[in-house]
Amino acid sequence: MSFISWQFPFFLLGFVLLYWRLPHRPRLWFLLLGSYTFYGFWDVRFLALVFTTTVVDYLCALGIVGEKCRPVQWLALVFLPFSWLAAMALMVPAAGIDQKVLYTALAATVLFLVGYGLVWRLPEAARPRGFLLLSLGFCLAILGFFKYFNFFLSSAAAALAGLGLSPDWPTLYIILPVGISFYTFQSLGYVIDVYRGQGPVCRDLLVFAVFDAYFPQMVAGPIERGRTLIPQLITDLKFQAADLHEGLIRILVGFFKKVFVADNCALLANYVFDPGTSLNAPWALLGGVAFAFQIYGDFSGYTDIARGTAKLLGVELVHNFHFPYFARNPSDFWSRWHISLSTWFRDYVYIPLGGNRGTDWQTTRNLLFTMLLAGLWHGAAWTFVIWGAYHGFLLLLYRFGPFTWLNRKEYNSLGLGLLAGVIMTVLTVVGWAIFRSPTLGHFWTWLTALGAWGTRTLPWHSSFWWLAIHVAPLLLLQGLTWRRADETKLLDLPWVARGVIYALLFILVVSSTAQDQEFIYFQF
Amino acid sequence: MIRRLFADFLLALCLLLVAELAVRLFLPHDVSGRFSYGYDREAGFVESGEVVRLVRAGGRRFHPQTFSRRRPPDTLRIMVIGDSVPRGPSLAAAYPGQLQELLAAAGMKVEVINLAIPGFGARRSRLVVEKILQYEPSLIILHLNDSNEYEDEREYRRSREFQGWHPRHWLMKSFILARAYEIKTEKLQWRLLPETIRQQQLLNDADAELAASLDEAQQRRWQQRFWETTRETVALIRERSIPVILVIQASRQAGDQGPERLDDHGLGALAQSLQGPGVQVVSMGQVFSGLNPLRQYFADSAHLTPTGHRRLAAALAAVIRGRGQGAGH
Repeated sequence: MSFISWQFPFFLLGFVLLYWRLPHRPRLWFLLLGSYTFYGFWDVRFLALVFTTTVVDYLCALGIVGEKCRPVQWLALVFLPFSWLAAMALMVPAAGIDQKVLYTALAATVLFLVGYGLVWRLPEAARPRGFLLLSLGFCLAILGFFKYFNFFLSSAAAALAGLGLSPDWPTLYIILPVGISFYTFQSLGYVIDVYRGQGPVCRDLLVFAVFDAYFPQMVAGPIERGRTLIPQLITDLKFQAADLHEGLIRILVGFFKKVFVADNCALLANYVFDPGTSLNAPWALLGGVAFAFQIYGDFSGYTDIARGTAKLLGVELVHNFHFPYFARNPSDFWSRWHISLSTWFRDYVYIPLGGNRGTDWQTTRNLLFTMLLAGLWHGAAWTFVIWGAYHGFLLLLYRFGPFTWLNRKEYNSLGLGLLAGVIMTVLTVVGWAIFRSPTLGHFWTWLTALGAWGTRTLPWHSSFWWLAIHVAPLLLLQGLTWRRADETKLLDLPWVARGVIYALLFILVVSSTAQDQEFIYFQF
Repeated sequence: MIRRLFADFLLALCLLLVAELAVRLFLPHDVSGRFSYGYDREAGFVESGEVVRLVRAGGRRFHPQTFSRRRPPDTLRIMVIGDSVPRGPSLAAAYPGQLQELLAAAGMKVEVINLAIPGFGARRSRLVVEKILQYEPSLIILHLNDSNEYEDEREYRRSREFQGWHPRHWLMKSFILARAYEIKTEKLQWRLLPETIRQQQLLNDADAELAASLDEAQQRRWQQRFWETTRETVALIRERSIPVILVIQASRQAGDQGPERLDDHGLGALAQSLQGPGVQVVSMGQVFSGLNPLRQYFADSAHLTPTGHRRLAAALAAVIRGRGQGAGH
């Protein structure tokens, strides 16, 4: 179920009303059931993957601290995903689960059982590392298969074709399960934290299952840490009217950003980045800027709705956006954009690689590797890889290269700060053009179009106004919440002003309801 | 405590409710049929006692006019139905207004009512005909132009867009919200977004239809429907024994080498097939044939200049006088 589907308001209303009427333990069961229902609306088959991640990481985290369930328990758990698929195959033939899928699931189950058994046979000191590797290997293998299998296969085939070989490899028809990158990373972060002793192990399977599948943020983040979300789930939360109030504000602002800003900017961005479109400089610029606002409105809008929904349930999710387009340098940008992902890569990839503690060469290597991975995380396409590399390159330019002078945290003059902001904005838009282009060839077309001022295409002036009309209210909202750098922090304003703002936002949202574009980050 | 916390949301709700109530109470004609886009038979007609007022409502942008429900005695009541061509730049300059002037100058007691609305094709014109039959017309002038079928279709789809009680339509039951959506569509989307983008992205059903309008098969289907609907409309008028004049639209087209020419899109054939007792045809192609330059009469490919309107009115006046139409018909 998507936040922008017509079913969601009814689901949420019914869910919140019942949720607060239940005692703590039944509430958790209700939350788990609601989360699986929410996810199952997309594709019930992929619940098996959610079960797998939960079971694998639950057992591995327990294993890391030297604990083990009773054999009946862990056997039942390990066979849960396979059982789900088998039940679906028997009871819901329309789900299309064939024998190949069942055999693959069974093989994976047996593989995990063997791995799990082998790790327990390791010397006690080696077991934590063994369980960590088992969890990483298993979860990343699932993520890799569903997200990257065809990409790597086709890339390898293309490379071999370049050498004069023509491999005849089959391409599998693989559907990308929605949100797989998000919940896999969240779950892995928990296991790594347990391994490092930075977070407590969760012995309560129900709590851990809710943590893994928490519906407000499961499919598109923010990526939560076990140490922040699990304690909130364990606590017997009490209903607070202030939470309800704040949650509703976040949801309203989220819908405004998604439906009014992002979906309307998408119309221009989709046109400009369509391979059949003939571009000139004004259109290339319009498309780049439109996509920058589209992706911000889309993703931060989703985050606001997710945080608002969680707040209605008494839970505070992490802050994920901090006015990123006002960043003055790349590291500033990454401390403001998709904060839960950038801190994930910082904590679990960049710092373990050595971070910036080694030589310049080592720092360069670590930065580039981390950003390449971050790019690849976004999708199985070379444009995402290049986008990651581009941002890695920018970070290096500001750290070691000619832009070092712009990397100072303290700016002496407003002019210098403004200049740094403008340069960073331009660089960010170029990055988004790489990200949005369907191919690298199309990005090159976009880039060269920036120099083509005379080329005749569609008139662009009216489209500029279209963009301005849909971006201006967002900037106005940012101006009103400038001090807190979060558009949902409207509580500093007088209540009368807030009332008027809500009414206006609501009208703007409803006026744009026909577009119905799905969230961009679902594909990641 | 809770009331204080939610004062802002209550205010927002109150603002929306007050606006909704105010519009429904003080602008009832604007609300009535507002989102039917011409597919509401009653929209635009306000009856108070014996007087009928034509107002702009429900996608019907009539020239504001007033007439009595019953035809005045000894008066020839002519009602003109069509699209932007008969509607003209103003009530006086359009050919119905000119016709009134010419017939009155010829000593006839006449009342010409302009019921033409821009973009109205066969289906919506038929609804106007169904409505005005109750106002005792002596003669109906039906202006035939088959270039509005796309708009008829688009507006039909818009009128159906939020019909029904599916939850996703609930918000659009509010006049204020539906109007906001309409303004966004008409004033921003249609004006600011190039047609290419709207076609490419198929923003809604109406835009999907816009794309389909480029399809030749779709054009043929529309033309066929235009012919069928026009036949039904003429038959409906003739059932009441009301005479009708069909004005056949012609478009100005640049010749490949030579002078400009007029094209009636084959509507002449349709009109000829309908001609019979009580049905006469006036072809713009014939009225303006041999005139040079045509731009003196045509403001663009289809619309007429005041001179063009006057010439067409003169042709119609001649036909009407020739029919010996008089009071009491």
